[in-house]
Amino acid sequence: MVKNISRRKFLKNALIGGAAIGSGLGSYQITYGQAKKAAGPIKIGGQGAVSGAHADYGWQMIAGSTLAIDEINAKGGVSGRKLEMKFMDEELKPATAVKNARYLVTDWGADVLFGVDSSGSAMALGPVLAELNRVHIFCHAATHRLTEELVAQRRIPQIFRISVPTYQDGILPALIMKDFPEIKRWAGIHEDYEYGYVAWNTFKETMKKVRPDVEFVSIAWAPFWTMDFSSHIAAVMAEKPDAIHTTKWAGEGVMLLRQALTMGVFDNIKAWWQCMGGSVDVLQGIAREVEADKFKGKLWASARYIHNYPVTPENRAFVEKFIKRWGKYPNYSAETSYSSIYVIKAAIEKAKSLETAKLVTAIEGMEIMTPAGKRYFRPEDHQAVYTVPGGRVIKSPDYPLPILGDLRVIPAKDYYRHPPFTPISATK
Amino acid sequence: MLEKLVFQGLIGLSFSMYLWLLAAGLTLVFGVLGVLNFAHGSFFMLGAYAAFTFYEKLGINFFLSILLSLVSVGIIGVIFERLFLRKIYNLDLPYQLILTFGFILIFDDLVKMIWGGVAMIPPMPSFLEGNLSILGRPYPFYNLFIIIAGLAVAFLLWITLEKTWWGRMIRASASDREMAGAIGVNIPFLFTTVFVFSAMLAALGGALGTPVRVVAPGIGTAMIIQAFVITVIGGLGNLKGAFVGALIVGILTSFGILLFPVFELFIIFVVMTIVLLIKPEGLFGK
Repeated sequence: MVKNISRRKFLKNALIGGAAIGSGLGSYQITYGQAKKAAGPIKIGGQGAVSGAHADYGWQMIAGSTLAIDEINAKGGVSGRKLEMKFMDEELKPATAVKNARYLVTDWGADVLFGVDSSGSAMALGPVLAELNRVHIFCHAATHRLTEELVAQRRIPQIFRISVPTYQDGILPALIMKDFPEIKRWAGIHEDYEYGYVAWNTFKETMKKVRPDVEFVSIAWAPFWTMDFSSHIAAVMAEKPDAIHTTKWAGEGVMLLRQALTMGVFDNIKAWWQCMGGSVDVLQGIAREVEADKFKGKLWASARYIHNYPVTPENRAFVEKFIKRWGKYPNYSAETSYSSIYVIKAAIEKAKSLETAKLVTAIEGMEIMTPAGKRYFRPEDHQAVYTVPGGRVIKSPDYPLPILGDLRVIPAKDYYRHPPFTPISATK
Repeated sequence: MLEKLVFQGLIGLSFSMYLWLLAAGLTLVFGVLGVLNFAHGSFFMLGAYAAFTFYEKLGINFFLSILLSLVSVGIIGVIFERLFLRKIYNLDLPYQLILTFGFILIFDDLVKMIWGGVAMIPPMPSFLEGNLSILGRPYPFYNLFIIIAGLAVAFLLWITLEKTWWGRMIRASASDREMAGAIGVNIPFLFTTVFVFSAMLAALGGALGTPVRVVAPGIGTAMIIQAFVITVIGGLGNLKGAFVGALIVGILTSFGILLFPVFELFIIFVVMTIVLLIKPEGLFGK
């Protein structure tokens, strides 16, 4: 090999290498200069799934954060400086999310970051944030490992999460459904990845503690983007369960529910818990069936924020402003991203600085009123503690689309996991 | 236990018929045109969007909507074959891959520009609602309808290929393109018709799915992997193989979900691997 490299080739390669190092240094200097710039706008970099089948989730983030930024700028900005946002597509791919974050911080000059839909993207991004040294508020990615492993154990202080962790979808339904003594046989139809495993395992664990008489009779795992659930439904219904717990979300949740209807499931069970069924897109997708009472009042759900809870002036104002601006109801990602911007504002005002270390201190332990209610950022793992109720999917004369009614409120602080964190079994 | 297995098998059968609609067109185009069309799933998606638009937005009868959706996707198929696919018949396989894969992205973005990114949900036609009792359990009319539709397509395809002039032309050019051309078969025209026919089969699958599924960008790619597995098991380019492959994949998947929920996902890949090891050309491949 060695003798094949001619002198000319060697020189050429050396020159290219040298140029690469040189340009690397150059971009580093530019970055440094931008970070020191004092006058211009405060730059907020966001990312979410803006393309593909889940594009609406990213859109909701853009809609929520844009609303907040416009409100803040109309009132003169933060400490006299306007907010400026750049939002990128993470494509639900970890590599893209990391690339975006690097671009946003080093090239575009972002002072703070927020967003991210995919848990996989969030876990890949975590260690990079320590290196980029920017606060990142996660407003959808829900894996408990983000806060428990990366913050509480590995001490990456730049990570904060404003939305709920995955285990809420296991613990909350167990605590609510335990009050139905006639429901003794549970089955699950779940996402075939960490979210499904964690939700089903924490559901079973919690339920066993509060209702030792309950049995878990059947389970089906359906991979991301399953289109035909009839085999899964038939398999779990073969064991004649009293109720079904499922994590299928967004369009897949709608397909699962519609196919369950054709299979007469709601004639044969007592309850169905749709973990993220309180999401506006799912409620919209099943509106006709709810209107016709096809679910017979047996469909229960939760979400990461629902627009009809809590009944506070802050929430009412947010929902009204959102509808006025965008012509539809805010989904949970819209609320979490809207609130992220206000958390960033509060942190900068409290820290009187854009320095990451000072912002981290400002957010740790922060209590802030948001549309979803009061949020408290626990210092130990940077997880925001706030309460989201579960409820029955109903049609209300006050709303054009179905909502969650018959709400059961269980304070989040009573059931969120605390350090020392023991690993949750994240396998089938 | 036996009753559970029979019921699960019948559910699996409807899934098989659904997969068959998608795999049939894929394998037909490969057999005749020699093209592996990655964008086949996009025609499935376009069929669903078109059917949704005619049925839900324009209020047209369900069956007429399906027919109109086939015609619409057929027209797109003509344009696609004449303007793009035709240019690459003589080029290497990677060019086919790049072109057809590129069109997946283009079609996905096009539907997003026209219909938006939110999943849309067409209503269930009332005649498909409800179920009948099989072995004491509710079996949906819809799944029965899909089984009938799949078998009808299989029968019509067989009649067409075996008994019609067009079918003979297809078989002739599939077995020896040059010779068929030499004896006067209009190969370019034949290719267009076969491609359009296959696009319409995919569209039929998409359109028939709308009553219980959602219409969203990406629904085509979600199904296409299984269709590829089916064509590999059955033998690329072989319709009988695609039918048997669909039965194997659909029913085995369904049994796997009932009996081995933890590792159900790789069962069909194990089957594919075994077929590739023992008979690399597929069960019915030559």
